[in-house]
Amino acid sequence: MRSLSYVQRVGLEFSGSLFPRAVCLGDADNDSLNELVVGDTNGKLYVYKNDDSKPCVVRSCLGMVTCVAVGDLCNKGKNVVLAVSAEGWFHLFDLTAATTGKSDSSSHHELLLGDEPKLSFTQHVPANTKTILINDIDGDGKCELVVGYTDRVVRAFRWEDCSENFDGISGQLILLKKWLLEGQVDSLSMNPGPDGIPELMVSQPGCGYAILLCTWKHDSHQVWTEEARKSEKGKKKKSNIGPVRDVILHQTSGRIHNKNVSTHLLGSISRGSSDESSKSGLFALCTLDGTLKLMDGSDTLLWSVQVDHQLFALEKLDVTGDGREEVVACAWDGQTYIIDHDRSVVRFQVDENVNAFCAGLYACKGGRNSPCLVYVSFNHKIYVYWKVGLERMESTNLSNLLEAKEEFRDLVQRLGVDANDRKAVRELLHRTLYFPDGHQEDPTS
Amino acid sequence: RADCAGVCPFVEDSFSRFSSQSNMYCLSAFPTATGGQDLLAATLKGKVICLRYQDLRQKIRPVAKEVQFTYIPVDAEIVSIDTFNKSLPKGGLVVGITFIKDLGDKASPFLNIYCDYEPGSEYNLDSIAQSCLNLELQFTPFQLYHTEVQDYGRSETVFLLGGNDQNIHLYKENELLHQFEEQPIENLFPELKALPSNVLWMDVVNIPNSCRRLTAFGCHSGFVGISHVDQNKKAILQSWNIQQDGPISTVRVFSLYAFPTKTDEHQLEDFNLLVTSTIELSVIYRDVLKYGLSDQLILPETDRYDSVLCALVADIDFDGMSELLLGTYGQELLCYKFRETEGEFQLVWKRCFQSPLLSMAYVDLTYDGLCELAVISLKGLHILQYSLTKMAELVLERLRHKVALLEKKKADSTVKSDSAMSFDVASSPD
Repeated sequence: MRSLSYVQRVGLEFSGSLFPRAVCLGDADNDSLNELVVGDTNGKLYVYKNDDSKPCVVRSCLGMVTCVAVGDLCNKGKNVVLAVSAEGWFHLFDLTAATTGKSDSSSHHELLLGDEPKLSFTQHVPANTKTILINDIDGDGKCELVVGYTDRVVRAFRWEDCSENFDGISGQLILLKKWLLEGQVDSLSMNPGPDGIPELMVSQPGCGYAILLCTWKHDSHQVWTEEARKSEKGKKKKSNIGPVRDVILHQTSGRIHNKNVSTHLLGSISRGSSDESSKSGLFALCTLDGTLKLMDGSDTLLWSVQVDHQLFALEKLDVTGDGREEVVACAWDGQTYIIDHDRSVVRFQVDENVNAFCAGLYACKGGRNSPCLVYVSFNHKIYVYWKVGLERMESTNLSNLLEAKEEFRDLVQRLGVDANDRKAVRELLHRTLYFPDGHQEDPTS
Repeated sequence: RADCAGVCPFVEDSFSRFSSQSNMYCLSAFPTATGGQDLLAATLKGKVICLRYQDLRQKIRPVAKEVQFTYIPVDAEIVSIDTFNKSLPKGGLVVGITFIKDLGDKASPFLNIYCDYEPGSEYNLDSIAQSCLNLELQFTPFQLYHTEVQDYGRSETVFLLGGNDQNIHLYKENELLHQFEEQPIENLFPELKALPSNVLWMDVVNIPNSCRRLTAFGCHSGFVGISHVDQNKKAILQSWNIQQDGPISTVRVFSLYAFPTKTDEHQLEDFNLLVTSTIELSVIYRDVLKYGLSDQLILPETDRYDSVLCALVADIDFDGMSELLLGTYGQELLCYKFRETEGEFQLVWKRCFQSPLLSMAYVDLTYDGLCELAVISLKGLHILQYSLTKMAELVLERLRHKVALLEKKKADSTVKSDSAMSFDVASSPD
């Protein structure tokens, strides 16, 4: 297994402790550059910008922040920052002006609740939150909020805005639906189904997952019942939840060591431009006992990798810059796996235990977004590895790279060297690089 | 102070974590039977790791595998390792490993020399690892080094081993007995007799097209010596020395020109001495044969990243001139280039690592004619490869140029023969 040591990193100051889902990357202040948003167990929300080790924005929330997210929940064309506490306090912040208006980051001012009511919002929702997702789950073109709970419940909310004629945040969350699942929900994600329409997926223990149906969609009523019937026939599984079937449970193939093991899931993994024939989305699963899987739709397993580390976080990141997103999984001990669609693995070990992990684009250096790995350690530091891009996932050498080029084969032939003779090509390359023209014998003479 | 604006041309291709730390004497590259190169790296807790790139048709894969060298006890601590191919016509790989075995009340040092005389197995590492000559040492070993000597008109590669007894010990193969044995150092290296202190690093360069060599060494006391020796007469022609402050980590004798042209006599004999220090700035002594150790140039900023522990000289940027790479305990890799116009060495780029750098080698591990940089840090072995996309562009550009020259030459010669032909026709009216 190819292994690397990334070096370029910045250490951000963070003295609190946090839940694994209380860290995310996103454009919090709508300047097209991504920030790092972190919430701690004391109810503080921190926003870090570029390589500044101190947060540029600090906000106070009620309760222990269990999850944070950045997205256009209000459907006004700009991102807001969400922080939800275990006690059920839902906080919404508009930070558009907060980071840009103030250049002096050393005296980061701290807004208490109600200080600036126009730019923050609080509402109580059911408690015991675990994970959140902002996405358009019902295909109406507007974002909804999905919240996963520790009591095996998932709820979907819609933001009802009533700030028609002023810029602040005003409105409320309306409950759309509640799903009850059989097992713990560790991840929420969207992934295109067989017809290409995005579906809401949740992870289920034992490397399983479930599709949650948005039953409030009147027009698609017919479609989903048919879907459900088909699935029932195929899987011979019966869901006992409620009179209306709204949860379709799937188990992934292969040996599962422990059917109760904590499982994470991530959908909509980009295939790049190369393959648009398949409508269904790529999604990945990982378990705490070290199973990693990449699936193409519900029935095609692309690969499965078993590792000897406890994987607790799953992300996607295009490290090679080819448009295809790699699967990134992190273990508690800092071991990180980056795996591409062809199952090429690159390993990286952070020399510290990891409290929380996320990966994505972050504008750490040079005023532009770049792929980053973010590790929250246990000793008051968040490490952002900001140079994690690779030319390729697998090792290769110069001759392999050049042999694929028509021009090279042509030039080599005109110099009288057989392009298939590896030894001769190697000698030619060596001479060309280390003994440029005029300082060597002509190979043909 | 010159700004270091350059970018390190290398990207890390692989990293192999070691179970215990290594040291500055524990990396050695050796040629394989196919013509590529592999690496041997030793770690303190008695493990020797062989790193090679496996060829899998369209891709290659770095594989770090432990090699079980026989007669190294489990509790041994390896001090140094070195490998060489026996001088032609003999051939065959020789591996030398020094280690210290802890016997409770006293530690006893050994030198193991591995070499297979079985025809067909001379280059087979696994079989070589099983045939061992075990020599007990009366001193604590330091650097294990090899060099080729001319002995009665024949080329022979020998081991040189520094020790804490203020001596350098010579090990040479006894052909009749098929084994290596210690010989008095003055037999072949009169310049290494009666040393003032323990030698931490030595470097020997045979001057091309001559029977002379330059032998340099750096001591724990800060003493640096370099000698110009005639191998045939076994006579020291010239000798220079200088006292610096603090232990000397490495010395390297090098030419600035990666390919000295034979037409320029001076280039052939223009040797410089790089001296890296653990506490001072590292320095270059220019053109030793002409100026001795009097023309000193400093390498700026070499004292800013803790001790410099390793150094190598190679043409890193493919311009035909040698660059210097220095690895520091302060986790930085520094690259210096000589600017002829300014007459000084400038820092062109630096690259940071996760842990202190101990040893380096610049060799072609991937069998493509392009060298990789192997770096041993406190945590393991890093293989740095040039950014291949950029290298491919450079190669194509140079090949285009080469082809254009070749075809111009061809065209010229055909034009010449054509005109000769027409002249012939014209001159034969009858």
